[in-house]
Amino acid sequence: MNVEITGLTRRFGRTQAVAGVDLQAGPGVFGLLGPNGAGKTSLLRMLATVIPPTSGRLRLLGRDPGSYGPRREIRRRLGYLPQNLGYYPSFTVAEFVEYFALLKEMPAFRVPAAVATAIERVELGDKARSKLRTLSGGMLRRVGIAQAIVNEPDLLLLDEPTAGLDPQQRVSFRAVLRDLGEHATVIVSTHLVEDVGAACTRVALMDAGKIVFHGTPAEMTDRAEGTDAVGDAPLERGYSAVLAAARSVAGARS
Amino acid sequence: MTAATAPVTAPRSWRVPSAAGPARLLRVELRRSPMLWLLPVLAAAFYVSTYHPAMDNPPFWNIRSGMLQSHTMLVFAPLLAGVGAWVGSRDGRRGLADLVGATAVPRWAGQLATWAAATIWAEALYLGCVGVLYGVTADEGPWGGPLWWPVAVGAATVAASCAVGFAAGELLPGRFTAALAALVVFLALAGGAFAIQDDATYAQIWPLNVQGPFPSDSYGIFYPYLPDLALAQVMFLAGLAAAALGALGWPAGAGGRWLRGAAAAVTVAGLAAAGTGTALAGTARVEANGMVIPALHNAASDRPTPYTPVCGRGAVPVCLQPAYRADLPEVTAALGPLLSQLAGLPGAPVRVTQVAVTSVHPAPSNGIAFGPPVIRGRPAVLDLPLSGLTLPGEGNTPAASFISSLRQQYGPVIVNELVGLPADTVTIGMNPVVGNDDHAAQFAVAQALERGLNGPSLIRSIPPGARAGGPVAGASTRGASPSSAQLQAAVNRFAALPEGARHAWLATHLTALRAGRVTLSEIP
Repeated sequence: MNVEITGLTRRFGRTQAVAGVDLQAGPGVFGLLGPNGAGKTSLLRMLATVIPPTSGRLRLLGRDPGSYGPRREIRRRLGYLPQNLGYYPSFTVAEFVEYFALLKEMPAFRVPAAVATAIERVELGDKARSKLRTLSGGMLRRVGIAQAIVNEPDLLLLDEPTAGLDPQQRVSFRAVLRDLGEHATVIVSTHLVEDVGAACTRVALMDAGKIVFHGTPAEMTDRAEGTDAVGDAPLERGYSAVLAAARSVAGARS
Repeated sequence: MTAATAPVTAPRSWRVPSAAGPARLLRVELRRSPMLWLLPVLAAAFYVSTYHPAMDNPPFWNIRSGMLQSHTMLVFAPLLAGVGAWVGSRDGRRGLADLVGATAVPRWAGQLATWAAATIWAEALYLGCVGVLYGVTADEGPWGGPLWWPVAVGAATVAASCAVGFAAGELLPGRFTAALAALVVFLALAGGAFAIQDDATYAQIWPLNVQGPFPSDSYGIFYPYLPDLALAQVMFLAGLAAAALGALGWPAGAGGRWLRGAAAAVTVAGLAAAGTGTALAGTARVEANGMVIPALHNAASDRPTPYTPVCGRGAVPVCLQPAYRADLPEVTAALGPLLSQLAGLPGAPVRVTQVAVTSVHPAPSNGIAFGPPVIRGRPAVLDLPLSGLTLPGEGNTPAASFISSLRQQYGPVIVNELVGLPADTVTIGMNPVVGNDDHAAQFAVAQALERGLNGPSLIRSIPPGARAGGPVAGASTRGASPSSAQLQAAVNRFAALPEGARHAWLATHLTALRAGRVTLSEIP
């Protein structure tokens, strides 16, 4: 398993962002759904080794990120696209991707080819020498994806990766996800249920810092049967049904 | 996006970073460093603050190098600190902290690469400016060679300014951090100027301080340039840079235990170096050849630099250090008329030789007073210090002004010494102080000689006791003290003599006059 989580929590002051998550994930595309404030971004930041957990056990790629040496090894094999992607305006697309390839300690001789490949995969080949300040929001998002995949990561964490992409780019991106998921663990946090349905082999739904559902997209869709859950698509209705059920259980407990 | 265009290979082994990685990282940073945008501004600032004023000064290596350390750094250091802070706050301002924080290269190493890129550009520009100024100076054919210690202090100031600003930007990322860093560094430099004016010895470490209170044309010519203070300054600045950069390696995310330990060691070493440099500067003392720090001093630097003087023609030749070759006509013009009157007299100098300084005295407000010209030896030689005088061309000073200044400051002193008046120390820029109660005849002769030289007497003071209508103490060997009218009459009489007659009288009476055995009435 590339991701092994047991009883993971994270507090920010008095706020419990992640409240005891258990999760295991191997190769494949894993969708992380949930409403705003559910704790998805905090969970992803812990998986990206940006912030440490408050408690619980976390193993990534078979290693404990709590120690510096293993954490560094994990980071070499990690791809991460944060929700709010910053960028250096004066860098070109190629320079930005090269910069992060080097920060991920890719062997220098492999960097030029890897950069070119990553840029081509997000269809920005004709913009490789453009300064980032000249790109649109969607293009910048694709640059972010390119830097995340440049090192051919074994663990790819994408927080709202399709925000700002047009429908055609989203379709292309899902194909990239499926391709990457053949041998890497790809965790995609998103609000867009259709992305999960199209690209993910497994899906989890978070609410109030906990995972309230974990299964396949088809299993989530099935949860809508016999309920009056709302949604335009079957998976959306499944999402609503799971969420409503989880909240009613939580309400009853409290 | 295309999944098929580039099939993902599956290198599943743990990758080991290659040595080329950091070099490539630095290359990317170099290519896109914001410092590049500042280079034209820095170049323009250098032209205005240093190059243009330097060209208004004579081509002395010490003057030009001193300007590189003081003028250039006064402008460069705040600007570099500001850009350093801008660069340092980059990830915080741009929202890249998470993304960069999830990469394998230790955060501290990445920060050092970013700082190094900015600093390399700044140093390159600074050294380019040094090259231009020194190239032009060399083309003007000055004596000696370029001084490199002030350049080293400037280079250390560049690195330290970038480091301090960068650390401020990393630790306090914000939109106004750059402006604040520039302001703080500027105020620190200005504060150093005030501190050093107050004679605070530790303030000698101030990076714009070249050789303490020594004027820039008074060191590095007769003696080798003393690097004592520059060494302490480089130690302080390097320590400051190390401490600032080392502090960035402390946080848990900066790197592994070993790296953070190294960062802590760098910080401690930096603080120790900065503290040691400051402490050493506190022990600095003014010597004739510059600022001496005993713990750093090399006694070999106290040996005078050998040179062959350049000499003018005349009854009493004037010989200068070859660095002052261009000033020989003005010095000769200033002293020639007086020297020709004195030539051949007993005890009169047969040659004028420029010397470094005859003595130095601490003066208030970080000042320094040089000793006066001195007649010594047999045959007598006039030791003439020019240090501290504003030379022709220095700050656009006209030659006539220099000639007048030299005559007014040194003419009376030379005459006083020759006629036997007490050789009170001349404080540069102040009126000479002459005489006591027993020297009325010497005083009258001196005044007469100077009147012939300059018109109205340059000696402002009169012997104590010689007041309007009152007796003059010192003329009492034949009874009552002469009044100031008697004194003035003696002056007028002697000044009215033809030069040849004056010279003849002096030739026979100068020894007696100097011994105080001539009275006012005996002056022809």
